[in-house]
Amino acid sequence: MKKTSLWQLFAVFFRTGLFTFGGGYAMIAILQEELVNNRKWITNNDMLDMIVVAESTPGVIAVNTATSVGYKQRGVLGAIIATLGVILPSFLIVSALSYVISAFQSNIWYQSAFKGIQACVTVLVVNAFTKMFKQIQQDVYNYLALVVAFAVATFTNFNVIFLILSGAVCGLIITLIKSKSTDDKPLVVADTQDIASQDDQTGEVDQ
Amino acid sequence: MIYLLLFWEYFKIGLFTIGGGYAMLPMVIQVVEKHQWLTTDQLYNFIGVAESTPGPFAINLATFVGTMVGNEQFGFWGGVLGAVVATFAVVLPSLVIIVIVSKLLEQFKSSKYVQGALYGIRPVVVGLVLSAMIGIATNVVLPNVDLTNIPSSNVTPFNWVSLVMMCAFLPLSRLKIKGKKVHPIFMILLSAGLGVLLFGVCNISG
Repeated sequence: MKKTSLWQLFAVFFRTGLFTFGGGYAMIAILQEELVNNRKWITNNDMLDMIVVAESTPGVIAVNTATSVGYKQRGVLGAIIATLGVILPSFLIVSALSYVISAFQSNIWYQSAFKGIQACVTVLVVNAFTKMFKQIQQDVYNYLALVVAFAVATFTNFNVIFLILSGAVCGLIITLIKSKSTDDKPLVVADTQDIASQDDQTGEVDQ
Repeated sequence: MIYLLLFWEYFKIGLFTIGGGYAMLPMVIQVVEKHQWLTTDQLYNFIGVAESTPGPFAINLATFVGTMVGNEQFGFWGGVLGAVVATFAVVLPSLVIIVIVSKLLEQFKSSKYVQGALYGIRPVVVGLVLSAMIGIATNVVLPNVDLTNIPSSNVTPFNWVSLVMMCAFLPLSRLKIKGKKVHPIFMILLSAGLGVLLFGVCNISG
């Protein structure tokens, strides 16, 4: 593995941030092409490992991937530089856009355009949901947790962070019970990797 | 101090977002409503903008909320500072966690506690996204209805035009032309055009 300069790290991730729309998995497909195939900074296996880590740690997947590639190449400083690179394009563009938006939001044409856009946004969120739904394991706990989380979040003002924490606690309890009865078989690790590799192959996902 | 609050809320959002961009949406909606930083319309509109601008969806959303909040209170440079604070806060937790996890990669991957917690969290996140989806759809079709406080008599107009648009866009978004899906940006532009035509020019109001 060649040693990468901080500037190269920054430039590669800045470019990826600038030319990926929607982020997330769409960006991972581009990074794979750039980092594994073109620059050979990391191997495909490294990439898969990083996707697993990015998916199972908090935060935005595209940013997490940038952070872990940066860290692998140049340590903590590399992690910071790569992260900065990937978020800077959106930061600059969106900051500028926000001012345009606040200037126009009482304009009648702007409002009617966005009335239309909201209908489209609903569809985008529907698609995000169906895609995420396909990725979870199809078992009783998953269905139950999904319905409960949905109902509580929709019809009450209960803090969603507590819902996520409760999910973690339930998952831990279930795993501990299962692992007692099935002699420490690794439960979900294989599945996470399956999901990761499936996503690479499709590579056309939008969020 | 608005910036401390912005930092704290976005730090929490960054810390508890598992599963990428859209998983963050329910938390952003809740926080924005709690502090009345933006109207729901401003937030939902921006989802369309975030999809059509480069960069990770969730970062776009953080930068936008930060800018709007700061701008409202302290003008232009206040907005810039707000954007920096929110964006920095949302990536900080993962930055720290990833650096730690990268060192302990093997232990992390095979830890049954980590995997167990994730197993528990994933469906919750999907349920939350479903909830955000219903919230947005309700806002489009039945503006002014709050699902946590459903009114006994239905007074708001039913926006059937948007409902028809939603029904038309759903199959369009799944359509594959020469093996490629219709790009979200194209759909957003199309829906903006339709919005101008139907709500602006023809002035059909729900």
